[in-house]
Amino acid sequence: MIGRTVLAAALTAGLLCSSALGQGLISEVPREQTLIVENPEGTIKNAGWFNYWSVNAGGRSTGLQQLALDTLWYIDPDQGLDGAWDNSLAAEPPIYNDDFTEMTVKLRDGIYWSDGTPFSADDVVYTVETHMKTDGLYWSAPIQVNVASVSAPDPHTVHFQLKEPNSRFHVLFTVRWNAMWIMPKHVFEQAGDPLKFDFNPPVSLGPYVLENYDPNGKWFIWKKRDDWQRTTLARFGEPGPTYVAYTDPGPPDKRVIAQLNHELDIIHDVAPEGMFTLARQSETSKGWFDGFPYAHPDPTLPAVIFNHQDPLFQDRDVRWALALLIDIKAVSMASYRGAATISAIAVPPTGTHPGDYHEPMEEWLENFEIDTGVKTLKPYDPTISQQIADMLRPSMGDDQVPSDPEIIRSSFGLGWWQPDPEAAAQLLERAGFTKSGSQWMTPDGQPFRIRITVEGEARPVMTRAGSMIAQQWRQFGIDAATEVAEGTLVTRRNTGDFQVIMSWSVETFGGHPDLAFFLDSWHSEFIAKRGQPQPPRNWQRWSHPELDRIIEAIRGVGFDDPQALELGRDYVKLMVEEMPIIPLMSYNVFTVMDETYWTGYPSAKNPYTNPVPNWANTKYMFVKLRPTKGDQRAETAQ
Amino acid sequence: MSPYVRYLAKRLGQFVLVVFVGITITFFVTHATPIDPVETTLSSAAAFGSTSPEAIAMLRQSLQELYGTGGSLYEQYLTFWGRILRGDFGPSLSAFPTPVATLIARALPWTIGLLVTATLLAWAGGNILGGLAGYYRDNRLLKAVGVISMGLHPIPYYIVAFVLLILFGYVFPILPLSGGYQMNLSAGLNATFILSVLKHSALPALSLILVGVGSWFMGMRALVSNIVTEDYVTYAELAGVDRNRILYAYVMRNAMSTQLTGLAMSLGAIFNGAIITEVVFGYPGIGSLLIDAVHAGDYSLVLGITTVSIIAVAAAVLLIDLLYPLLDPRVRVD
Repeated sequence: MIGRTVLAAALTAGLLCSSALGQGLISEVPREQTLIVENPEGTIKNAGWFNYWSVNAGGRSTGLQQLALDTLWYIDPDQGLDGAWDNSLAAEPPIYNDDFTEMTVKLRDGIYWSDGTPFSADDVVYTVETHMKTDGLYWSAPIQVNVASVSAPDPHTVHFQLKEPNSRFHVLFTVRWNAMWIMPKHVFEQAGDPLKFDFNPPVSLGPYVLENYDPNGKWFIWKKRDDWQRTTLARFGEPGPTYVAYTDPGPPDKRVIAQLNHELDIIHDVAPEGMFTLARQSETSKGWFDGFPYAHPDPTLPAVIFNHQDPLFQDRDVRWALALLIDIKAVSMASYRGAATISAIAVPPTGTHPGDYHEPMEEWLENFEIDTGVKTLKPYDPTISQQIADMLRPSMGDDQVPSDPEIIRSSFGLGWWQPDPEAAAQLLERAGFTKSGSQWMTPDGQPFRIRITVEGEARPVMTRAGSMIAQQWRQFGIDAATEVAEGTLVTRRNTGDFQVIMSWSVETFGGHPDLAFFLDSWHSEFIAKRGQPQPPRNWQRWSHPELDRIIEAIRGVGFDDPQALELGRDYVKLMVEEMPIIPLMSYNVFTVMDETYWTGYPSAKNPYTNPVPNWANTKYMFVKLRPTKGDQRAETAQ
Repeated sequence: MSPYVRYLAKRLGQFVLVVFVGITITFFVTHATPIDPVETTLSSAAAFGSTSPEAIAMLRQSLQELYGTGGSLYEQYLTFWGRILRGDFGPSLSAFPTPVATLIARALPWTIGLLVTATLLAWAGGNILGGLAGYYRDNRLLKAVGVISMGLHPIPYYIVAFVLLILFGYVFPILPLSGGYQMNLSAGLNATFILSVLKHSALPALSLILVGVGSWFMGMRALVSNIVTEDYVTYAELAGVDRNRILYAYVMRNAMSTQLTGLAMSLGAIFNGAIITEVVFGYPGIGSLLIDAVHAGDYSLVLGITTVSIIAVAAAVLLIDLLYPLLDPRVRVD
């Protein structure tokens, strides 16, 4: 009797185990029709909240902004499907009057919300007016600062009357990473307080609708709309995946394992070591570049940022001396294990910027001179990226590290400053610093002490770069070390509670030369007092009359005006001369794409869009993705 | 008034005091954090778009009003206690405007389900094996269990967890790497969902049990090793009482009071969540919620989770203190 009971229990347990183990990755959705993507936001605490307009309310890159929301214009950080600029809900670029106090937008016809309601100018007007009368929404403040009134003269035209001239007002509705999304008027006007409405399920303006989500915030699954042709993306074709799942795969090591198991098609980012492992062990895993440096360079510029409200860094000679003590090759190896794309100038070396800034200005950089008072030097070395590639080749192999000089320049960057400790010493001495034994002393006789604030494990690449720079300064006789800020970094950076910080204050469109996106906030009128929060992005709190002139001149010319590019180059020259921050490299993101189930991902060879999957402009990727094993839907139909 | 009632009143007073002091300390510690939730939110809101400095100043003011972070620390403390007494922790600052209580209620069942099961299994397994090993000291199998427990015990938990993950998630990929249940499955009381939850909790539970068993095993073995030298055990053996009866009725029963205290403390601490377990295995629960709240400077949520934890641990200790005099005649309250 006991034996039978035990046998029955064992059989039941075995059956349950085999049933459980037999469960696939996704329930009731064909894996070969599903693209699985990492959402770097991790687990979403408030998963059932899809009201993007309410600050902090829920996930943003859960597929919501990539697949379901839409706005007037997009700028791709790479080349774009039909140029970097795309008129999305708008039918054409913005139309300003002569003094930039009015903006008119012509909208596309034939676009529908996923519940069948036509999209019209009323939706745009409703979105703007809701932000005008509601405080605390994501874009309430910029709308209230800029807009005097908004109207819809006809169903496909929107007219903005601005409070002050603003030649860049349209940027508010232009996606870089995100932008002000358009609300469905017919849904929100029934919902009451827009701050307390969860917008669940979201009514979509993009080509996908929400299929299911985990209330614990681990995954979100989207399904292609039956009427995807009635969305703006349809101009470029049919999106490939029927389903898209955005998930939280966990820490970097698990992301690598998940992709090796072919359970994660797109990794948002891993440490360089994770990328190298995937490149070695998985034939189907692809980075942006075929070989080194693999990663996609974001239009963001990690830099050594001085706090200009600290008296130590107010002298240009001191800042230049510290720049001449940095060996960028060692920083590249320490931070990205060599997989960095370096930049000597204060513009990220990504997208169209090398063609607009880096290459045309290289001759000026090569001729740029520094007079230390003892000698004159030309610090720019155009061969640095070649030297980094040569350093990597013995350990990584010829097949991984490019040898074509043009490919090296496009992937590793151009030149950088040649370390020159002798010139650095002369500059410091001219600034009143002295050397006592092996220690440099400040003009008031104190040890020259620098603390570099780094984020720590949350951003290991930047932390390792900071540690290497501290070591190089220390070897020269400066009491330099890093301070790990962890979660306090944002508050410390914003309030100016640092001497030097590893961060970025330069972020650009990547696919457009206009620099106003970040530069306008660098005007001296916005610099906060010491201890007060500094508005983004002039974290260095640096001001200069010439910089103000450039910013004011940019405000007076149009977004696409060639003068804006010339003014951008003036900014670059000023930044080199003054060195208020030391630009290092682009923020390289190791996005890894697995071709086991899907092909057609963007790459450096085919840079039709940005692959980093939390950016809203990755929506353009979906029309190029096709199943690796053939389009089974097409086969089934035949 | 009977001695037990006096004892009860004294312990209840201590309980209230512990909870009050614990929550007060937590309030001031969390508010001393250098992370400003408004600045964190502002950075997040401005990080990806072009937002003018005037607009940032306006948004800062709006958020301070919405989050209620504008008043003095003393005013916030009074408001906080007013809310606690109404059972309301206020809205989460990093998932605004969702109430903290909703977030905790959503995460807690996962933590309780995993940790109660794992803790009880580890406690039962460790104590039974430890009791047997302490009593039957010459048994080779039990000696081997002892060696394995001693070997596992000093290994940091996260290493054990990661080895299991690589073993069963990559080398023999039969168990999921993360999550609480299969993607696209809707939660419900049906066999598919329950099996999926069991499958996803297998690795985290196994890691907790492996490490937990060793700890309980060694504690119980040491206790039993002491008790077997007591006169009454020797007397029972000389009197020819069955050895299993001696072990279970005399030896282990006397050793259990210490282990029960440990169990109560462990169950109370469950409300802290298993942070490493949840992070390594990507398992939903209160631990990862707490970590997320700390990083975001969401002190409403940190306070909510910590308050629940303080009350749970204090209540567990109170319960054991109240039960002791009833369970163990050697404990006197007068």
